[in-house]
Amino acid sequence: MAENREPRGAVEAELDPVEYTLRKRLPHRLPRRPNDIYVNMKTDFKAQLARCQKLLDGGARGQNSCNEIYIHGLGLAINRAINIALQLQAGSFGSLQVAANTSTVELVDELEPETDTREPLTRIRNNSAIHIRVFRVTPK
Amino acid sequence: MSNAKERKHAKKMRNQPTNVTLSSGFMADRGTKHYNGGGKSFQAQKQELLPGTSRPRHSKMIHHSPVDPDVNEQSSSKIMFKKKGGWKAGPEGTSQEIPKYITASTFAQARAAEISAMLKAVTQKSSNSLVFQTLPRHMRRRAMSHNVKRLPRRLQEIAQKEAEKAVHQKKEHSKNKCHRARRCHKNRVLEFNRRQKKNIWLETHIWHAKRFHMVKKWGYCLGERPTVKSHRACYRAMTNRCLLQDLSYYCCLELKGKEEEILKALSPMCSIDTGLTFAAVHYLSGKRQGSVILYRANKYPREMLGPVTFIWKPEWTPGHASESRQLWIWLHPTLKQDILEEIKAACQCMEPIKSTVCTPESLLTPSQEKSQTELPDERIGKKRKRKDDGENAKPVKKVIGDGTRDPHQPYSWVSPATGVIISDLTMEMNRLRLIGPLSHSILTEALKAASVHTEGEDTEKTPHHWWIETCKNPDSVSLHHKQEAIFELLGGITSPAEIPAGTILGLTVGDPRINLPQKRSRVLPNPEKCQDNEKVRQLLLEGVPVDCAHSFIWNQAICKNVTENKISDQDLNRKRSELLVPGSQLVLGPRESKIPILLIQQPGRVTGDDRRGWGSGWDVLLPKGWGMAFWIPFIYRGARVGGLKEAVVHSQYKRSPDVPGDFPDCPAGVLFAEEQANGLLEKYKRRPPAKRPNYVKLGTLAPFCYPWEQLTQEWESRVQAQEKSPVASSPHGEESNLKREKVPCTPTPEKSDQLSDELGMSLSSPSEPREVMDTERPAQMGTEWVTGPAATSSLLCVLR
Repeated sequence: MAENREPRGAVEAELDPVEYTLRKRLPHRLPRRPNDIYVNMKTDFKAQLARCQKLLDGGARGQNSCNEIYIHGLGLAINRAINIALQLQAGSFGSLQVAANTSTVELVDELEPETDTREPLTRIRNNSAIHIRVFRVTPK
Repeated sequence: MSNAKERKHAKKMRNQPTNVTLSSGFMADRGTKHYNGGGKSFQAQKQELLPGTSRPRHSKMIHHSPVDPDVNEQSSSKIMFKKKGGWKAGPEGTSQEIPKYITASTFAQARAAEISAMLKAVTQKSSNSLVFQTLPRHMRRRAMSHNVKRLPRRLQEIAQKEAEKAVHQKKEHSKNKCHRARRCHKNRVLEFNRRQKKNIWLETHIWHAKRFHMVKKWGYCLGERPTVKSHRACYRAMTNRCLLQDLSYYCCLELKGKEEEILKALSPMCSIDTGLTFAAVHYLSGKRQGSVILYRANKYPREMLGPVTFIWKPEWTPGHASESRQLWIWLHPTLKQDILEEIKAACQCMEPIKSTVCTPESLLTPSQEKSQTELPDERIGKKRKRKDDGENAKPVKKVIGDGTRDPHQPYSWVSPATGVIISDLTMEMNRLRLIGPLSHSILTEALKAASVHTEGEDTEKTPHHWWIETCKNPDSVSLHHKQEAIFELLGGITSPAEIPAGTILGLTVGDPRINLPQKRSRVLPNPEKCQDNEKVRQLLLEGVPVDCAHSFIWNQAICKNVTENKISDQDLNRKRSELLVPGSQLVLGPRESKIPILLIQQPGRVTGDDRRGWGSGWDVLLPKGWGMAFWIPFIYRGARVGGLKEAVVHSQYKRSPDVPGDFPDCPAGVLFAEEQANGLLEKYKRRPPAKRPNYVKLGTLAPFCYPWEQLTQEWESRVQAQEKSPVASSPHGEESNLKREKVPCTPTPEKSDQLSDELGMSLSSPSEPREVMDTERPAQMGTEWVTGPAATSSLLCVLR
């Protein structure tokens, strides 16, 4: 993303270190237990799936199982989040249900100046996010 | 039967009633593999703690005739015995049928012997450890072997009983103090002052000394790493929670004067190629902290001095165009001597300001002539001989801040020509660094903005006149409220990385010791504070407005006032004990100290795609004397403390270079490399020759140091050789050839004889700005053109 610049810095080119709003803020009703899972494209899919499964099942000796978990995905990870939710549902023999919400998240890009005379600028982009609630229902 | 086996069996059986036998391998030879179902159900009854998984195993066991002794031992060990030992009740060798039902009372009667044995074994400690060895590591204290009060209450009785055992009794002590106690200094503070003369102590030194491995470096005694094994814990604290460090050893240089003069003096020392300089707009206004690499005047790219960070004091009234500005430059102590000299030369500030050494106190104690250091008036700490204890009423105070400096050396210089005053403010301010996402929560919990002084309480004489004066000014009051509002917003932001890098927020807070929690606990992020409203959005986008970066800490007089009027811990505790309701909040009202602080945001990792913002945090600047008062509240809210090692790890994971180790071309870096090489060589020599790694065979050219000069010289010569072949290509031609990994090309040295270490240094120094630039410009892949002075003009492109 570097723009070409003349040697002597004549052109006031600005670089683009992208600064995301780092952890997208958790929804207001933040549960005390870590029921929230943020999905990204870097971690292995199977690992993320296993983590969600473990949260729902009750994990190691200390953790109680959560009745519901929230899966969040941003941008490209929306696909993955949906995939994980559906796989959880498929593997649960009908005891899990999903409910999804979408939202728009603002991402901030910071443009740092190259020369002394310019001020840093911020640019805002919008990106879509999905929040899927996976919860256990008692079969009637 | 072997002796060992006998003894082992005896050990297992020693607490058992006689009718119990062991069905371990010892007895298995005798063929007793039968199981008493009654015994089994007894076990099942007795332990509610038995995990569900072993129950099916039990039922399996009943059907199996070969009893698995291991499972037996394991299950019964879960009951309450620490040793393994299964047993079966009943005479050995008999096989009994499993009863279909049991009556509880008769059953319990029959088993009474076992029950009593079990109870007896529980009360008796069977392990060899003393009771305080069972405590977790972070609760053990050094003196607990002879001072039971250091243990938690529930263990004190047991410890006392143990201590009274004859084994642990020490010899009778004489009435006079022991050898060591007699030699102990009567006045601990004097002793500490004396010890600090060689290596300066930070304000949190004693706290660190109890918990850290200390190391003497750079003229300071610093904590290197915690004594508990906590590398992973500190990493986790930096990633998910909060790590706290005391960086008060960072030196501060203050420049006061007209803006143009200061800029004129400093601009030859830095270069735009390495990044924004002192004059960048958003740094100049005081809105953000900047960082720059300093070189000797006009000598870029050679003779690098080191990286520094700086803050301008924001102008109080923007339209005012006040001529005098203040600039604080923060640097690592190793770089201080060189940079100070260079700045003095640049500003032409050669005249030292004589500190007003009027010593009325020293006249009172003529015996002080013997002691070398007569501290001048403005110092806080005073040193007195032991004998004078009775005479003067004033107690000896700990040496802090200015007192740590040599009184005979000047620390302030003025330039007659430019009117610039340089002061050396080392140890005048404390700098605490919090790293990690929870730093916001800890800051907002521990610090509360100072309450505004209302008119009605004017009649009381408070020592905080400066605050009263400020409160009379409505502009200041509104500014204070604005700062307070922004500070409150911080509590709702999940991570410091969301705020623009280097943001500065000034604040005046009340005494943090007042609402110190009773117990040490971990602060959790408060979800109610996470509001997604307009103000937060503005904070994230634009940062803190310029006027809110103002703080009274810039004013030396106010800082001094605040330090002198600090309520001592003893007085504070006494006031707490006088409260009517013990444990309630102590309210001091207008007598509470108001402390001006400055909060500076530190950006975390900025390069790369992965984990952007890792390791971001806040630096808190405090006036001297208040270090411990802020330190303990932060720790009581769950901050973990790290030392020098954690700082190295932090900059390593943050992909930013670490002073002085990662700057090999500045003089401090050279020194560091030498010391490191010496250290490694010593370690190498300590090993026996046969066990040393054979570096010749391994092919390591330089096992103990990095031969940067040799490397750059070889590059140079290689490039020269290349150049002699056909085309001496123009710079533009070179630009297209360059790829990332490629070694640099085409210097055009006019005097190759001048290739000394100096040039070698200079060749490597553009790599330093590259490195530092990388932290600021992650995506830059362009070339770096350096046109130095004409004599050795070398066009270099050093890439990483």
